[in-house]
This record gives sequence, C-alpha cells and structure tokens, in this order.
Amino acid sequence: MFFDIEKEEQWLNDQLQKGYRCTNISGLGIYTFEKTDKRYVMKLDYQDYLAKEKFRDYKGIYEDFGWTFIKGSSMGSIQYWQKEDDHQNEIFSDRQSKRNYYKRLMSYSSGLGMLFLLFSYMLYKDSGLYLTDGLWSMEGSLFWKAFIFETPFALLRLFPVIMVVFYGGSYYKAYRKYSMLAEK
Amino acid sequence: MKHKLLPLSETMHYILLALREPLHGYAAMQKIEKLSNGTVILAAGTLYGAIENLNKHGWIEPVGESGRRKVYMITDEGNAILKMEQSRLLHILSLYEGSESNEES
Repeated sequence: MFFDIEKEEQWLNDQLQKGYRCTNISGLGIYTFEKTDKRYVMKLDYQDYLAKEKFRDYKGIYEDFGWTFIKGSSMGSIQYWQKEDDHQNEIFSDRQSKRNYYKRLMSYSSGLGMLFLLFSYMLYKDSGLYLTDGLWSMEGSLFWKAFIFETPFALLRLFPVIMVVFYGGSYYKAYRKYSMLAEK
Repeated sequence: MKHKLLPLSETMHYILLALREPLHGYAAMQKIEKLSNGTVILAAGTLYGAIENLNKHGWIEPVGESGRRKVYMITDEGNAILKMEQSRLLHILSLYEGSESNEES
C-alpha cells in the first residue's frame, strides 16, 4: 500500500525495470508480478467519476496507444496503465494536460480529506479520545492499567484524523506541482 | 474576458486542424505527427483530455463511430476559432517580417 501516487508509480516502475510485468493489482493493493524478458512501464492517472460511455472512450484511447488497463474504475479512482517500453512512455505530452492531472488529484485529495474531517467531527463531538468513564479521575496503577488498555482503541479512533492529515498532505503536494506548471 | 482555451495551445491547435476531416482519436494523433513533421506526438492522456475539452466547448463533435472508436470533426464554432487564430498569427508573422524600418521612418 502506498500513500503517495507518484511514489507508488516510481516503485512500480522500479519493479518493472528489474524485468517484471504487473499482471494484477487487487482491491487491497496487493501487486502481482510476473517475470518477463521485455521491459514494461507503468503510468498512473486519476479520473473522476466517468459515465459508462465516457469511461469506454477513455480506455479505448489509451488502448489504441498500446496501454493495457491493469486496474481502475469509472467511479473516481486511480487508473493503472502498463505498456511495453518503446520510448513513447508518457501519458501526458504537454504542460496543460499534466497540470490538469494535478488539478484532478487536488480535488480528489480535498474531497476525501473533507469526508474524513466530517467523520472526525461526528466521532469526537460527544466525547474525547478516551471513552472510559472517569479514566482521568482514576488513581495510581488502576489509572495506568486502564490507560494502557484504552490507548489502542484511542489510536483507532484517531484514524480519521490521521487520514485528514494525510489527504491534506497529498493535496498540498499536488498543489505544489500544479503551481510549478503554471503558465508563465 | 478571453476564452480560457485561447490563445490555442499547440496541442489544441493541431487537433482542430487535423479534425477538419472526420477522424478518431488515434488517427488524429497519427495525422498530427505527420502534419508537424514528427515534432508533435500526442500522448494518450493528453489526447483524451483535449478531445473532451474541445467537445465540451462545442468546437468539435462526434460524428459517428468506426468500430468501437468515436469519430470527431470540427464544428462551425471550431472553424470560427481557427479563423480568429489565423488572423492573430498572421499579424504576429507580419511583425516578424521586418517592419522595423517602418517604425524608424
């Protein structure tokens, strides 16, 4: 599992450079590779929800260019494309389209970030991080036992906040790239 | 305010010029490679995005299917845009062709 689309792309291409070909990526993010004599490259795109026909057009054009669809969906997701290395290995050939790609990543990150922010709010509005009643008024070893017992649960409850920070971070990264490509 | 696609980018410009005849995406890319003497080779994501964008603005439109591929062609509005761009570029070209002497006199 990766938390950064560009690092994921880099890692995948490192594997392909070692003489592998990706055959499948499962829903849980488990990659399956197969040994090959040829060299392959992988590119990751992001697309928002596409109507069935549009998604077909989208895949059709990539396939015409020799890309094989490894994983993705029309429901707003990262799209994984692989092809044989033949020096036409990019999916974006101009500044404008690369910029639009980062813009899509920005709206993806901010959308999910907002969602987790909402989760966090609902989770914490009635209570603090620790749920045990009177935890903070316990004394001595009883407090420590209860505290240690509760901490994993508290961390679990912290998950949405971690996700907010993570998506905030990827929003910022995409934004940096986006502004670097700004028309001069 | 100026339209956000104007002045046309090299990619958009070539696509509009190529689609003065009906073509599907990949064929348009091949034609553009020829038209540009091999200097403009569009990548898949760029071509897809550009076609979507031009279609959305009504400058090109789907005119049929060839197998599973959609065939696109320029619209009247698209042609009007090309006309505008042509006169803009002609003006710039005229500036290239040494009118400095005019300024001096």
